[in-house]
Amino acid sequence: MSGRGAWGLIPFWGLHAWILGYSGVMLSAFYIQFGKGEFPCPLCMLQRYGMFLSTLGALFVVMQARRGVLTTSRYAQGLGMGLIGALAGASVSVRQIALHITPGDPGYGEPVFGLHLYTWAFITFTIVMIFCGVMLMLAPKSIPVAPAAASVPRHLSTAIVWVFLAVAAANVVAIIVLEGFAWVLPDDPSSYHLVDQLTG
Amino acid sequence: MTLLFGIGVLMWRGANRNLVIGLWVLALVAMLGLFRYHVTSALDLSF
Repeated sequence: MSGRGAWGLIPFWGLHAWILGYSGVMLSAFYIQFGKGEFPCPLCMLQRYGMFLSTLGALFVVMQARRGVLTTSRYAQGLGMGLIGALAGASVSVRQIALHITPGDPGYGEPVFGLHLYTWAFITFTIVMIFCGVMLMLAPKSIPVAPAAASVPRHLSTAIVWVFLAVAAANVVAIIVLEGFAWVLPDDPSSYHLVDQLTG
Repeated sequence: MTLLFGIGVLMWRGANRNLVIGLWVLALVAMLGLFRYHVTSALDLSF
């Protein structure tokens, strides 16, 4: 580790919080999808897509830092990916919020803590955009420094990355089951199309 | 989503940076394309 100490470790773990946070959001979405039986609409899936797209920016920076090849320009590239991904996801969230903005509209799905999932998604995208902006403002002092190889923090970092990849793999399976043999989701899904197609 | 998972795996395995960024841009374009489709298909709007 360089002599920058906490100045390098704080952004490193901040990026892990981002990765783990969105993995948790995705697992919660799975609970609502499979536990409560709510089918995600195409805009819901696109917001998950935006979360992955954005988190890949954080993963990009983390993996470069772990390999010890992270430079200021690569750091900016990763945060740029995160920022653009969050902006794309936020655009979808705003679209869905606008769809249900009229008085009396119950919204899509059950609210969680008083807000619908797409509103929560918008809040998380905003947090990510602010995080990226602040980290870019603090660069190059905010360039992450990875903990030493084979240390406990390094294993924790590896575990968080694996959780994210596992959640991404689960989403691949989930969307194939939901979409079946089609390029796009139905506008208002009411069943798992792959199951319907296979069972006739 | 498969593409996004693939990009994640490539990052983990330390694939070429330009390949990763190129695929990420492709995934972004695909997402925007899907967004446009789902925004305009049901309402038959055009922007």
